[in-house]
Amino acid sequence: MTDPRFAQIESHRPYLLRYALSQLRDGQLAEEAVQEALVSALENLSTFGGKSSLRTWLTSILRFKVIDLQRRAISDRAHFELTDFAAEASDEGWMDELFDETGHWRQAPQAWSDPEAALEQRRFWEVFERCLDRLPAAGGRVFFKREIVGEETETICKEEGITASNCWVILHRARLQLRACLEMNWFGKESARS
Amino acid sequence: MEKNPREAESVDCREASRLLCAAYERKLSATESESLTYHLDRCFMCRNFDSQLKFLHTAAERFRSGGK
Repeated sequence: MTDPRFAQIESHRPYLLRYALSQLRDGQLAEEAVQEALVSALENLSTFGGKSSLRTWLTSILRFKVIDLQRRAISDRAHFELTDFAAEASDEGWMDELFDETGHWRQAPQAWSDPEAALEQRRFWEVFERCLDRLPAAGGRVFFKREIVGEETETICKEEGITASNCWVILHRARLQLRACLEMNWFGKESARS
Repeated sequence: MEKNPREAESVDCREASRLLCAAYERKLSATESESLTYHLDRCFMCRNFDSQLKFLHTAAERFRSGGK
């Protein structure tokens, strides 16, 4: 009989791919890393003691695969395009979409009722992931590293080759966009929660 | 000329949102904190935004360990 944990492991694939993409920025390399990590996880399933969550355990395996691939890819460093940052960080136009000329919110952030309850709902996490996907490339990657992986801003700047202030602008924008997306697709919709 | 710290420079929502986010990345200066507090005391929209940032932070942590 198939171990039911095989299916559980598989269900974390989208998250793992997102993690790998945030670190490697290359879809093919990311897929490769995830594939290797999942194979190795299945082989070592007996060592998973359940002390951490399954996702945390899988992520730690993936982290090694990512580092390995990063080493192999380091000579191809020139391939990394940094232009998306320049566009995302320097353009203040996005602020004008959110704030009027007097500096007020164009759309006032609403009071979200019982946001903690959302964390318990599977449908909320689907919306959360869709909202992450809608962030601009660099914004999504930097937000993922900062808030989800929990990397220090300094480390992110170094990896991404950007200044701290660029990093702050990117994060500011990502947070505003994510908040707006969740409000539009979850908290502003009573029906979504019932 | 030195600025009197009690006269917090007033900030608008645009700037307040920037400071609220920046607080997750660095320590705000005394002037910045004071301006921000002054603004938050008077603006429910930015208070909502402040709560939402905290929520995003919690949600991100939860997402890391497996979501639901």
